[in-house]
Amino acid sequence: MADDVVDVLIIGAGASAAAFAWSMADTRMRILCLEQGDWMNPADYPSTSKHWQVRRQIAYNQSPNIRQRDTDYPINEDESAVSVANFNGVGGGTILYSAHFPRFKPSDFRVKSLDGVADDWPLTYQDLDPYFAQNDKNMGVSGLSGDPMIPYHDMPLHHIPIGKMGDAMGRGFNKLGWHWWPSDAAIISEDYEGREKCANLGPCNSGCAKGAKSSVDIAYWPLNQRLGVELKTRCRVREITVDENDMATGAIYFDENGIEHHQRAEIVVMACNGVGTPRLLLNSTSKNFPDGLANRSGLVGKNLMFHPWGMVEGYIEEGMMSHLGPQGTCLLSQEFYETDTARDFVRGYTLQVTRGQPPVSVATNGMLRGDIPWGNDHHAAFKRYHGNSVLVGICCEDLPEEVNQVTLDPELKDSNGIPAPKLTYRLSENSERMMAHGLARAEEALEAAGAFQITPFGQVRHTGWHLMGTARMGGDPSRSVVNGWGRSHDVKNLFVIDGSIFVTSGAVNPTTTIQALALYIADQMKNNLATLFD
Amino acid sequence: MANVITSDNFLNDEQTKSLTPLLNCIVPPDADSGMPGAGELDFIGYVNEFAPEAAAGIRSELDELNTAATEEAGSSFGELSGADQATVLEILRHRNVRFGRAIVVQAMACYYQDDQVVALLGEQSPPFPEGNTVHPGDLTLLDPVKAAGRRYREA
Ligand SMILES: Cc1cc2nc3c(=O)[nH]c(=O)nc-3n(C[C@H](O)[C@H](O)[C@H](O)COP(=O)(O)OP(=O)(O)OC[C@H]3O[C@@H](n4cnc5c(N)ncnc54)[C@H](O)[C@@H]3O)c2cc1C
Repeated sequence: MADDVVDVLIIGAGASAAAFAWSMADTRMRILCLEQGDWMNPADYPSTSKHWQVRRQIAYNQSPNIRQRDTDYPINEDESAVSVANFNGVGGGTILYSAHFPRFKPSDFRVKSLDGVADDWPLTYQDLDPYFAQNDKNMGVSGLSGDPMIPYHDMPLHHIPIGKMGDAMGRGFNKLGWHWWPSDAAIISEDYEGREKCANLGPCNSGCAKGAKSSVDIAYWPLNQRLGVELKTRCRVREITVDENDMATGAIYFDENGIEHHQRAEIVVMACNGVGTPRLLLNSTSKNFPDGLANRSGLVGKNLMFHPWGMVEGYIEEGMMSHLGPQGTCLLSQEFYETDTARDFVRGYTLQVTRGQPPVSVATNGMLRGDIPWGNDHHAAFKRYHGNSVLVGICCEDLPEEVNQVTLDPELKDSNGIPAPKLTYRLSENSERMMAHGLARAEEALEAAGAFQITPFGQVRHTGWHLMGTARMGGDPSRSVVNGWGRSHDVKNLFVIDGSIFVTSGAVNPTTTIQALALYIADQMKNNLATLFD
Repeated sequence: MANVITSDNFLNDEQTKSLTPLLNCIVPPDADSGMPGAGELDFIGYVNEFAPEAAAGIRSELDELNTAATEEAGSSFGELSGADQATVLEILRHRNVRFGRAIVVQAMACYYQDDQVVALLGEQSPPFPEGNTVHPGDLTLLDPVKAAGRRYREA
C-alpha cells in the first residue's frame, strides 16, 4: 500500500527528531514522523504507585532485552562489554533519561588538532553555541551560569537543588582543590511554559510523573504537532527505499497490525539513535547499495562509541536523605576532563555525582553484602546506610575504533521479522587506563568528603545510555557517512541527525549536543533549500 | 498473621508455619521505633503480586530450613522455640552463607515498601504527587572554584 508523498519523513521520535521537527516546522513543508513506540501516559509511571521501587524493574527497565515491550526490538549484546539502555516510544531515550545536560566543550570538537587522536569535527563549539541556547530554552534547562570549565552561557532556569549530599561532596572537592559545579539539568526548577516545577520525586529514570523532566514528548512534541508536524505511532520502519539515481524515495514500515506500507518522501531523515539508525541503513540494501544504504564508505555501523562508565559508591553519615531529588543529576567535577600529557592516557573524563539509593535497594544490597545483618541489629544498621549513599560515576571519553560496531544479527529478529542489531564492542587500552585513573580519583573524592565504606565497582556493563559514532560526520566521503550538516555523502536527500553522526564522544552525556546538532542541521537545510541536493 | 490467612498461598503447611518466624528472625519488630517485624506483613500477597517467579526459590529455601531444623533440633522450624530457631539459623547460615537469598530479596522489597514502614522512615509513598523538599545547596562553597578562573581549553 503506497501512502501520499510527504516533504520530510523523519524516522524515530526521540530527542533529535523532536528538536529537528520543531525547527523545520516553520518551512510549512509537510513533515511526518514515524515512531515504532507509543505515546507515554505519565499517570502510569511507577512513581504514582506505592510499589514504585519494584514496578520500575521490568516495564521501565532501561534494557530493551529485559523490558521486552512489543514496541521494543532485541539487541544481541553477547560480544559487547557494555549493554544498551534505550526507550522506544514518543520521546525515545528521554523518557527514561536522567536529564543530566552538560554541553560538549570547545576542545571536544578539535581532538585531532589538540591531541593528535581520532578526528576533528567539521564544525566547532562556536557553530553550535546558538543552538545549545535555543534548545535549552525549548527544553527548559536548569543550571548555574559561570562554570569556569565551559564558555559562559546563561541558563533559562536556576539550578536544581544539590542537597546536603551536594554540599558534602562540594566540601570534599574543595579540600582536594578540584573543580566541581552543580549540574545542568533538563528538569525545570521553576514553573515553566505551563509545566509545574520539579517536586524532587526521585526516580527520574522510570519516567517523570510530574512532567518536570524535559522529556521531548512533553517539551517538544505537543508544540510540534500544534505547528503542523504529523506524528504516527506504532509504525516500525523496515527499510529506506532508494531509486536508481541514488535518491531516497521513502520508507517501508509496518503499522500496528503488521500491515506493510510504503511512505514516500522527498527528504528522509534518520533519527533512530546510534544503534537504530545503522541497523536500518544496513537493512536497506539495493542494487546500488548492496552493503547498506549510504554505506559506500563502509563506515555505517562502525566506530560505535559509548562512554565507558565506572562507579564508586560511598556513604556519608550526615542524615542527608541523599536519595531524594533528581536521581541522576546533582553535580559534576571536570578536574580531569582535558588532556594532561603527564597522564598515561589522552583525553579525559567527568566525575558525575548522582543521588543515593532508595530504601529497598539500600536494604537489599546491604543485606546481600552482609553490612546490614539479620536480627536485632538490622534496624540500626539500615539507618546508618539509608539516605546516606552517594554514587560517583566516571564518564570516560570513548575514542572511535572501527572494530567497535553495530552489524545485523544473522538470526535474531524483532516481532516484525526485521533483523536485530548485533554489537561488537570492547574498551580500548586508553579507556582502561582512563578508567583506572578515574576510579581512583572518585575514591579520593569520596574520602575527602568523609565517606565510609567506599566501594569501587569498576567499569559497569549496563551503562550503555549514550549511543554514538555509527554514521559519522566528515568532509571526506571515504572516511565518513554524512557531511558537516548531516547529509549523506551517497544519497543527497538522506540526512542523519541523531547521535550516530558524532565524530568523537566527549566525556559528557550527549543529549544537549545531539539536539543542538539537530537544530544546526535543520538551519543548514533551511538556508540551503534551493541547492539542498547539489 | 497475614501470611497464614492469605488465600493464594503458594506454600504448603509446613513451609507456611516456618515463614513467619523466619521473616521475624530476618527483620524483628523494634519496640523503640515502632517498626514491625517482617513476619507481620503480607509477604505471600506481596510475592504473588510482584514476584511470582520467586515462589519456587522461596519454597526450596524453606524446605532447606525445615530439613536443617529437623536434623539439628528434631522438628520443623515453625515448631521450635525462639532459642532453637536462632541456633538452627546460625548453623545453617554458617554451612551455607547464601542461604535465604531468595527470601531476603523479596522480604526487603515487601518490608521497605510497606505503608507503615515507609511512614516511620519519613518517606513519601508514592513519591508523586507530594514530592520532597531538598536543600538547595550552599553556593558559597563554590567560591574557590570560581577563584581558580577559566579551566577549559580554547580550541
Ligand atoms: C536510562 C537512561 C538514562 C539516560 N541519561 C541521560 C542523561 O542524563 N543525559 C543525557 O544527555 N543522555 C541520557 N541518556 C541518553 C539519551 O536518552 C539519548 O542520548 C537520547 O535520547 C538520544 O536521542 P536520539 O534522538 O539519538 O535517539 P532516541 O531518543 O533513542 O530516539 C530514537 C527513536 O527512534 C525510534 N526508532 C528506532 N528504530 C525505529 C524504527 N525502525 N522504526 C520507527 N522508529 C524507530 C525509537 O523507538 C526511539 O523512540 C539516557 C538514556 C537512558 C535510556
